[in-house]
Amino acid sequence: MRDNTLKYLLVLPAVVVVFATAIWPLIEAARLSFTVGRLNRPGSLEQYLGWENYTWAFLEEPAFWNSVWVTAVYTILTVGLTTIMALGLALLLAPGGRLRSSAQTLLILPFAMSPALIGVSFRFMFNPEFGLFDAFFGVLIPPLADVSWLADPNLAFAVVVMADVWGWIPFLTLVLIGGLASVPRDTVEAAQVDGASGWRVFRDITLPQLGPVLAVVIILKSIFSLKTFDQVFMLTNGGPGTATQTLSHYIYFNGMKYGQIGYSAAVAWLMVIPMIFLTYAYAKFVFRKN
Amino acid sequence: MAEIKLNNLTKRWGDFVGVDDQSLHIKDREFLVLLGPSGCGKTTTMRMIAGLEDPTAGEIWIGDRMVNDDLPKDRDVAMVFQNYGLYPHMTIFENIAYPLRVRGVDKSEVKPRVEKAAEQVELTQFLDRKPKALSGGQRQRVALARAIVRTPKVFLMDEPLSNLDAKLRVTMRAELKHLSRELQITTVYVTHDQIEAMTLADRVAVMKHGVIQQLGTPDEIYNDPANLFVAGFIGSPAMNLINGSVRNGMFVTTGGTQLVKLDAADRAKAILGVRADDMQVHDAGQGDIDVTIYAFENTGESTLLTVQWGKQRVIARGDRHLRKDQDEVVGISLDPDHLYLFDPETEDRIRI
Ligand SMILES: Nc1ncnc2c1ncn2[C@@H]1O[C@H](COP(=O)(O)OP(=O)(O)OP(=O)(O)O)[C@@H](O)[C@H]1O
Ligand SMILES: [Mg+2]
Repeated sequence: MRDNTLKYLLVLPAVVVVFATAIWPLIEAARLSFTVGRLNRPGSLEQYLGWENYTWAFLEEPAFWNSVWVTAVYTILTVGLTTIMALGLALLLAPGGRLRSSAQTLLILPFAMSPALIGVSFRFMFNPEFGLFDAFFGVLIPPLADVSWLADPNLAFAVVVMADVWGWIPFLTLVLIGGLASVPRDTVEAAQVDGASGWRVFRDITLPQLGPVLAVVIILKSIFSLKTFDQVFMLTNGGPGTATQTLSHYIYFNGMKYGQIGYSAAVAWLMVIPMIFLTYAYAKFVFRKN
Repeated sequence: MAEIKLNNLTKRWGDFVGVDDQSLHIKDREFLVLLGPSGCGKTTTMRMIAGLEDPTAGEIWIGDRMVNDDLPKDRDVAMVFQNYGLYPHMTIFENIAYPLRVRGVDKSEVKPRVEKAAEQVELTQFLDRKPKALSGGQRQRVALARAIVRTPKVFLMDEPLSNLDAKLRVTMRAELKHLSRELQITTVYVTHDQIEAMTLADRVAVMKHGVIQQLGTPDEIYNDPANLFVAGFIGSPAMNLINGSVRNGMFVTTGGTQLVKLDAADRAKAILGVRADDMQVHDAGQGDIDVTIYAFENTGESTLLTVQWGKQRVIARGDRHLRKDQDEVVGISLDPDHLYLFDPETEDRIRI
C-alpha cells in the first residue's frame, strides 16, 4: 500500500507539469475554437459561435487550403529527402562504413543550431548581393545566376526545404547510425558469403532489420515537418505572397497578427488530428514489445 | 571442388597477432580440421578464407585463383558461423533458401532442395518458424542446412555442432561425415572438440597463438605429437606430463623415483609424456612402481585412476571391471613403446 502511494507521489510532479503545459492549453484552445475569439473585441473570448470557425476554414478560406497544401508538399519533400540522405550518410558513417572518423562529430554541428538561426543564416546565404549559396548556384547553374531566390515562389519554397533538410540530416543520421549498429553484423556477413551483392545485402538483410528505426525516423520527422514554423518565419515569413506559408505560420498569422484567436485555435485543432495519429504510431514503434 | 592454399598468411590488429605467418595447403576434397584452444585464431583463419577479414599479409588461393581481392560473394564458399548468423526476419525456410535465391537458382528447384537440406539436419517441422522461436541447437542446424543446401567450392564450418546435445551431436557428426564423403567438397572445419577432430578429419591442424603447431592425420597427431602443446592438448584424459630428468638410461622424476628405462641421452631436465591408456594397473607390488590412489572414477566403459606420484598426479586407465577405492595402493607400469620425451625449455619433442 505505502509503495503505491509513493509511486503516485513520484509521478505527480510530472503529471502536473504535463497538464499545465500541454493538456490545459489544448483544452483551452478547444474551447476558444468555438468562440468568436477576437483579441480586439472584449468579451468575444466567451462569445459562443458553434462550428463556424471550422466551417469558415473549410469553406471560405482559400488561404487555409493553400497552407494545407504547402504543409503537405513541404512535409513530403522534407521527410523524403532527409530520410534518404540521412540513410545514405549513415551507411557511409556506420561502423564498417567507408567514412567513419571525426566526420561523425562534425555532423552534429548543424543540429546544434536553432531552427531560427538556420533560417537567418540561410537568408544570408541566398542574399542576391552577398549570399554564398546564391553565388555558388549561379556559377554552377548559369540560368540561376540572376534570380532572386527568395522572391520567386518556387525557389523560395526550395530554399525553405533545403534549410530544413540541412538542419535535420545530422540528427536523423545519428539515429540511423545507431539503428545500423544494432543490425547484427553476422547476418550481413552471412548474406555476403551466401552470395548477395552489396545492394542485395542492403535490401534483403539491412533494410528489413532497420525497419522499426526507420519508421521512427520517418514519423518523428513528419511530426516536426508538419509543425515547422521557425525557419519559415525567419527565412520568408510565409512569402512571397503565401508561397511558403505552412499551417503553423498561418495559425500564427491569424492569431497574433490579425488577432483572430478563435479562428486560429480552430485551425490549430485541425492540425492536432494528424498529429495524434502520428504520435500514436510513433509511440507504437518506440514502445513496441518484441 | 578446389584446393585451398594459404601462403604466409598473417592477421594483425595493431600489435596483436591473430594469425602469425602461416602456410597451409588443403588438398582438393580434403576434410581439414582446425583444432586449438579458444582464441588461437581458428575463426580468424576461416574468416580470411571466406573474405570477411582482410589478411595483413600473405595470399589465399582457392583452386587456381588468388582470391585476396575477391568479395566473399565471388569466392563460392558456404560458411556455418560460430554464432549462426541467421536472418531474424526470415522464416527458417527463407533462411535456408537464401543462398539459392541470391544465386538465381530456378524457383521450382528451390523448394525441394531446401526440404532436402532441412531433412538432413532434422528440421523439417520448423520450416515456417522464425529463428527466434528455435532453441540454440536448432538454430545451429539451420545454419548448417543453409550451408549444405548449395554445392560450393569450399565448406567452412566454425564449430557447427558446439551447441547440440551429446546425442544429437553424435548423429550430426555421422551425418556430416557421410555428407562430406558423398559430396566430396573441400571442407575446413573448426572445433575444439577433439573427438570431432579425430573422427571427421582427413588431416588436423593444431593451432596455438596463431601458429599451427602440427599438421597431420588424426593418427599422427594422437600417436606422434610434435611438441608438448599438441601432446597435452589431444586426448581425453590429457596425456600425463611428468617432470624429471634422464640419467643413465632411466627417467627419474623430480622426486627422485627411478621410473622407467629410456633409450635417451642424459639430460638434467626433461618431461615424460604417457597416455592414460598406455599405463597398466596391477595389484600392489606387481607393476614398475607402487602408488596411492588419489581418486577413482568409473565412466562405465572404463575406469580412471588418478594416482599420487610424489608431488605429481597422473591418470591411468584401468579395466572396466576394476574396482578400487581412494587411498588404496596399486602397481603401475608404463608401456615402453609409447613414451614421449619433451624438452621443458623449448617444449619440443625429443625423439627416443
Ligand atoms: N576484430 C578483432 N580485433 C582485435 N582482436 C581480434 C579481433 N577478432 C579476433 N581478435 C582476437 O584474435 C584472436 C583469435 O580470435 P579467433 O576468433 O580467431 O579465435 P578462435 O580460435 O576462433 O577462438 P574460439 O574457439 O573461442 O572461437 C583472439 O585473441 C581475439 O581476441
Ligand atoms: Mg572461433
